[in-house]
Amino acid sequence: MNFPFTAIVGQEQLKTALILNVIDPGIGGLLVMGEKGTAKSTAVRALADLLPELTVVQDCRFHCGPESELCSVCQERQAEKALSLGHKKMRVVELPLGITEDRLIGTLDIEHAIKHGEKRFEPGLLADANRNFLYVDEVNLLEDHIIDLLLDSAAMGVNTVEREGISFTHPARFILVGTMNPEEGDLRPQLLDRFGLCVQVVGLHEKEQRMEILRRKADFDQDPTAFGQLWRKQQQELAEKIVAARDWLPRVETSDATLERIVSITAALHLDGHRADIVIMKTARALAAYRRLTAIGNAEIRDAALIALTHRQKRLPFEEVGSEQGKLTRVLEESLS
Amino acid sequence: MKFSQFIGQEDAKLGLILNAIDPRCGGLLLVGGKGTGKSTLARLARGIVPPGTPFIDLPLNVTEDSLLGGIDLEQTLKTGQRTLQPGIISRANGGVVFVDDINLLSQELLALLMEPQSRGEEIIEREGLTERRDCSFSIVSTMNPEEGDLSPHLMDRIGLCALMEEQNDSKERLAIMRLANSNRVFTVERDQETDAAISAARMLLPDVLLSPDVLEYLHQVVQKNISLGHRGDLFLYAAARAYTAFQGVADIANEHIDRVANLVFAHRRLQVREEEQTTTEPEQHDHNHDQQDQEQQNNQGEQASLPENGENNNDNQPSVEGEQESEPSQRESVDQEEIMQVGSPFKVRRLSFRKDRQKRQATGRRTKTRVKGRGGRYVKSLLTSPDPDIAIDATLRACAPFQKARGRDGCLIIEQDDLRFRQRERKMGHLVLFVMDGSGSMGAQKRMVETKGAIQALLLDCYQKRDKVAMVVFRKDRAELVLPPTASVELAAKRLAVLPVGGKTPLAAGLLETHNLVKRVGMRHPETRFLVVLITDGRGNHALVEKSSMKQEISSLTRLLAEQSQCDFIVIDTEHKGNFLRTDQAIELAQQLEADYYTVEALQAEYLSELVQARSL
Repeated sequence: MNFPFTAIVGQEQLKTALILNVIDPGIGGLLVMGEKGTAKSTAVRALADLLPELTVVQDCRFHCGPESELCSVCQERQAEKALSLGHKKMRVVELPLGITEDRLIGTLDIEHAIKHGEKRFEPGLLADANRNFLYVDEVNLLEDHIIDLLLDSAAMGVNTVEREGISFTHPARFILVGTMNPEEGDLRPQLLDRFGLCVQVVGLHEKEQRMEILRRKADFDQDPTAFGQLWRKQQQELAEKIVAARDWLPRVETSDATLERIVSITAALHLDGHRADIVIMKTARALAAYRRLTAIGNAEIRDAALIALTHRQKRLPFEEVGSEQGKLTRVLEESLS
Repeated sequence: MKFSQFIGQEDAKLGLILNAIDPRCGGLLLVGGKGTGKSTLARLARGIVPPGTPFIDLPLNVTEDSLLGGIDLEQTLKTGQRTLQPGIISRANGGVVFVDDINLLSQELLALLMEPQSRGEEIIEREGLTERRDCSFSIVSTMNPEEGDLSPHLMDRIGLCALMEEQNDSKERLAIMRLANSNRVFTVERDQETDAAISAARMLLPDVLLSPDVLEYLHQVVQKNISLGHRGDLFLYAAARAYTAFQGVADIANEHIDRVANLVFAHRRLQVREEEQTTTEPEQHDHNHDQQDQEQQNNQGEQASLPENGENNNDNQPSVEGEQESEPSQRESVDQEEIMQVGSPFKVRRLSFRKDRQKRQATGRRTKTRVKGRGGRYVKSLLTSPDPDIAIDATLRACAPFQKARGRDGCLIIEQDDLRFRQRERKMGHLVLFVMDGSGSMGAQKRMVETKGAIQALLLDCYQKRDKVAMVVFRKDRAELVLPPTASVELAAKRLAVLPVGGKTPLAAGLLETHNLVKRVGMRHPETRFLVVLITDGRGNHALVEKSSMKQEISSLTRLLAEQSQCDFIVIDTEHKGNFLRTDQAIELAQQLEADYYTVEALQAEYLSELVQARSL
């Protein structure tokens, strides 16, 4: 049983960033940086209880959706007759550090091959992760060749398998969430850039807050079910708010003025690539939907930029992520005043 | 989204169009930083090839069997006859193979892919199957140089190369955002107009001619862009010809050549620069390549093999030996501490290790190693292996032809002889141990600034190769482990920046600490390989034990270190060589350690792509 998301004390930026990814999976995931014991993993795992239902094709191993890309099996089925749809709760799929490549991308179904002399594809973790969250704890400790494979499918949301005589392609559009403790090694720039958002969490220092954390933790450990009951109302409200925001999202307008303001920020910071522009736009839009606005205001742009640009700012080689935070706040003040 | 809707990057788009017109252009490599749209553009190219043309994604997980083809399990079982299941190379015939992040793909597999492409014929000799077939396809690939280089001889085989930069024009940035806003799910649409223009150019292509005058000009352009071998000429001709056809004319003109020259030479110029570097400076031989690579390299790299011990100036080294005790102490009157800034980092020459036979469990990307355990990338299957790591797919294919004879009824009958084993491969990281002289003499003439720059550059290299790093500093009366082994190169850079200088030179203590660390780490992780980078002018002046002979201390410690088979050594000499007081003691140290020797200056080498460097700094 997970600790209730709503019972986590503080860490508002982290919680919001996770919620925004549920509202618009196109934001592209979240990297959580921080020391041990700052509720990083707790928050990500707790998110599972708040996730909405997905509309999926029934009996599809890749939970294809009617509006997203279809796997080859669903494409064939669709050609014959209309696909029958069902519902499945969105999940948080965990990727353990010691994973092997065949478990990640899928492999030859050995049993089937020996018994029947036929080749069949046995899906891996990337199949489970399609349209879901893919969570890697301590992502900076992930083995290098696994990262390569992860990046390969994250780039286009497709898992292409060409191995062991198997040639298979299926959609693998996942929301990548990673946590890391920067002191244990850094992340390759290419992987860093793949995370839509990045938040840095620090331990809370106020005595009152720390005591509250202890109290809640003790209550939870003593009787998780009772503790869950206590927070049921808040949980339900938040889950409903997230679903409402998803529905609201198409109503948020992105005006040219908004886009121009975003570009003025990224231009002032001389950022690499275009992902930054696009991520700020999507994040600000999701924020507006969460706040039930029909237009993106300066507040949304500012809040979005703060979490979208932390890990994208130009750094000298080996400068720490976040070392340019001062410059970011200054630029935001100037551009949005 | 359509190909023509992609905003900007005209060179890259032209490169794709030229390859679609004529595969003899030799493929296209898109080089650029993250988020510049490399992969997106390459995938959009699917919409400009005629319908039905193969366009195959080559994922990083590809195995040799899938690339080259092998026994078709199902067919073979059905008929009892060996039947070929075509691999990617056969399936790609007449089309395009797309390799995203080509520099992350196993170089061995890449060579296997490129060989039939440049030969125009595929020869299959596998699993009892023999077949020859014509093949023609182009390879469209992307790479981000931050993630490491592509070996020069593979780079040379790629016809065209376009450098991609982000658009700085805010109008274009806005347009890109609007596009992203409207495309919720990325799908490739057919781009009929571009396709029609390409088809027209293809029709015209056989009639496009090169006049003697323009041939002369083509030759001049090649001369101007010094490139090695003749591939550049041939690709330039093919590209200019395709471009001329694309323009709808039948005679190649000078300006057609000018327009495509940059695409042909962008990656070749860089290569030449690297080559020059290797011939003018002492170089360690690159042991990273497997056998096959080396054979191919011999054509271009022969003269690049090395004088063993650095510059020729070590001739005069024994004569100065006697003066060592008295001289340094004068300069080391700098007793107060100073913290030097970090000089600007530069790209370093590739550091490499001798490849050994020991199997290890490791991760990183400096040296390729055979891997024990089940972790590495499964590259191909073998007939024999000491590890019982069975390659099921290959085993099943091997047993398939005999199932009828063995009287299969239901389950497959597998015999001992059918067993095939997996060969896994993983690039291995190392512990790079920086052992630094922090004495007062390093403060003199701000040697420390340059030295720190050199180390910064080495750290960058360590990052790309995923090495662990550690740092020992010796100064005053002791050596200190200022950075225990860590994977955070960031942390190392931070420590480096605040490293103080001052005091005497306890070289012996530094060597002892190194030895202890190697032992300590080796005990816990016996598979670790070490690269010890010793940065000093070699002028030790503080003995380990009071009143003992410092020279003897040093020589017995170096002997002890040189015996450690898991260690390689590099000595970086920080002595100012313009000075008549030079002692060249670091050269002697290097000889004792059988180390590779560099001066700080000699370590520099140009970055693969200046363009990318300018951005990453």
